[in-house]
Amino acid sequence: MNKFLTKLIWIVVASLGAGALAKIALQRGESLNAIWFVLAAACCYLVAYRLYSAFVAAKVLALDDTRATPAERHDDGRDFVPTNKWVLFGHHFAAIAGPGPLVGPTLAAQFGYLPGTLWLIAGAVLAGCVQDFVILFCSIRRDGKSLGEMAREEVSKRGGFIAQLAVLAILVILLAVVALVVVNALKSSPWATFTLAMTIPIAMLLGVYLRYLRPGRVLEASLIGVALVLFAVVAGQWVADSPSWSHAFTLSGLAITAAIILYAFAASALPVWLLLAPRDYLSAFIKAGAIFSLAAGILLVRPSVHMPALTRFIDGSGPVFAGKIFPFCFITIACGAISGFHSLISSGTTPKMILRETHARFIGYGAMLLESFVGVMAMVAACAMQPGVYFAINSPAGIVGATPEAAAATISNWGFPLAGQTMTDLAHKVGELTLLNRAGGAPSLAVGMAQIFSSTIGGDRLLSIWYHFAIMFEALFILTVLDAGTRVGRFMVQELGGRVWKPFARTSWTPGILLSSAIIVALWGYFLYQGVVDPLGGINSLWPLFGIANQLLAAVALVVATTVLLKMGRTRWIGVTLVPMAWLVTITMTASYQKIFDPNPRMGFLAYANALAAQVAAGKIPAAKLADTQRLIFNQRLDAVVTAVLAAMVLVLIVEALVQWYALLSRRREPVLHESPYVATQWGPDFAGTAHGDD
Amino acid sequence: MRAHLHAGKRMLRKVWRGLREWCGDAAYERYLRSRTQRNALPQCTLSAEEFYVEQLNRRYSHPNRCC
Repeated sequence: MNKFLTKLIWIVVASLGAGALAKIALQRGESLNAIWFVLAAACCYLVAYRLYSAFVAAKVLALDDTRATPAERHDDGRDFVPTNKWVLFGHHFAAIAGPGPLVGPTLAAQFGYLPGTLWLIAGAVLAGCVQDFVILFCSIRRDGKSLGEMAREEVSKRGGFIAQLAVLAILVILLAVVALVVVNALKSSPWATFTLAMTIPIAMLLGVYLRYLRPGRVLEASLIGVALVLFAVVAGQWVADSPSWSHAFTLSGLAITAAIILYAFAASALPVWLLLAPRDYLSAFIKAGAIFSLAAGILLVRPSVHMPALTRFIDGSGPVFAGKIFPFCFITIACGAISGFHSLISSGTTPKMILRETHARFIGYGAMLLESFVGVMAMVAACAMQPGVYFAINSPAGIVGATPEAAAATISNWGFPLAGQTMTDLAHKVGELTLLNRAGGAPSLAVGMAQIFSSTIGGDRLLSIWYHFAIMFEALFILTVLDAGTRVGRFMVQELGGRVWKPFARTSWTPGILLSSAIIVALWGYFLYQGVVDPLGGINSLWPLFGIANQLLAAVALVVATTVLLKMGRTRWIGVTLVPMAWLVTITMTASYQKIFDPNPRMGFLAYANALAAQVAAGKIPAAKLADTQRLIFNQRLDAVVTAVLAAMVLVLIVEALVQWYALLSRRREPVLHESPYVATQWGPDFAGTAHGDD
Repeated sequence: MRAHLHAGKRMLRKVWRGLREWCGDAAYERYLRSRTQRNALPQCTLSAEEFYVEQLNRRYSHPNRCC
């Protein structure tokens, strides 16, 4: 009877999911309630977790709970710590969930709600979760080794080197693009700039508290910090209302760029306890709170989605970024569906803390499902606003014009009715001078979130507070990615430099710290600068570049995973990783080719450079703008070279892997796995980790 | 009724401990427990401040935050 009931419940869940998916896929012409998105996503995730992840765990990976994990064998109370699975799930989710699942779906909403939503759900279930789960498993079986080390051991030495280089390249592009999102959110906004600036002294105050006053008391320090940050959000309004203070905090895009570059350099070079770590604690708490509030808000308000299922921009003429639905929808939404960067987390701290092998399913597969759900919520928030407003916020001035009237006329011509006064009124309501031309996703997501929150608490009266709370939340954890990423990049530069000159690798040597910090900041700072001065909006160039790089890293991770499965003798099941890998290689190579060689100047880097060069040759560029145009031409050619190099590196790795797979399948080579030897666990079945070990 | 209250209290205690573990509040206590279990020399045990700084330096030397 119990079995029958269980089956019946799962049939109901699957039917609900299928019905909700059909509703969002087939509805045309009327606005759709957001609850259908929540229902479709939740049911698909439940069924996928119950069936597909169980299949991968049992048949493909054959997880073994009698085997001691690295946390048991090397338990040292520092790196290797057996941790309760719920606590580790929280750690892992906090590490993988950054701004990507919020910004990517918001940008991809220009295609309409349907393509992005379907990719978020299907991509996560069949590719993203599988990647995180399998890489986590591989790392557990290898004492917590990193993706680069596993690529070197299981694929080839060159494979490991390529993976390391790819990580550094992706880091540089990632940091540039997330910084650009912050610049576009803060420029000409004294309220938002003041609030974010205040998080720096607040974080330093917490740093001193945690180091000298109450060492390691993270919870109480974070609560103090969160209260201060919320006060800063409210105080930002007073700053914006004061003419003198408002003037001091109204900064141009270039001024904010300089400030962010200086900040990241300081965060990388200063002791980690002073600025970077306390900001990370603040960010983690506010992130958890904001995501939970957004989910609760969507469930309570049940907003209508006004964006059509498909827009006219699926043909590649979109104003937010150029590119057809294939492959650019799948490049734009990386985190939320599949993100190569996750493989670095799955082969980082998490495998060293996992209690039992079977927990890898809940933590690896389950946490990625939750991140995908965050992506679906971001899609709902973006599509719940009027499409005209969405396009006015996210389109660059070079396409829609710089005044509300010009933007409204252009966007209305596209079939999305918008009055210029609507944008002026909305900007006034959220406490901004203007909301136009703020490409990057953060401001439009903040408007969407603010509208949902204010429908629950405060109405229009609190819209400006909610908007600036959302901007602060996004910018705060983007800056956390920025400073943590800059520091990691600094270590990578020091490691690479140490191969040439050994003292450079010493992480405590001050000149080495300063020089390596300056190098990594200069690398991403250059890409950020070119994005800020790009008249087509830097997002058009940089976000696809970031998506390509991130998905290429995912392809690297899936190459390693497929090789390991082959060596384990699971040839029958290699489709589980091989099919997502083939899909990623197809979309990334197509996107790379189009971004380099497409003849449309908005799309192809070389076409844009050539079009500008032709204008210079024809004398159409005024003398005052000649130097800027020459720099723009150089930048476009540089972007083309970077894309080509990334694609070439991954192709080399794939060829190396194919040679090895052929040798293994044709039995010309004996499979050699580099797993740690089997050691039986000493823990009883009830042992639940140190968090509850004394229960 | 009392049984429900007791179960509720146990649940809250578990959530509280989980939260302290998640945010890192309990890291030093866990480290001390691990040292005791391994019978490590007390003079080699780090102070709370040393442990906090050492743990941060290790955590932020490799990718620990995704995009």
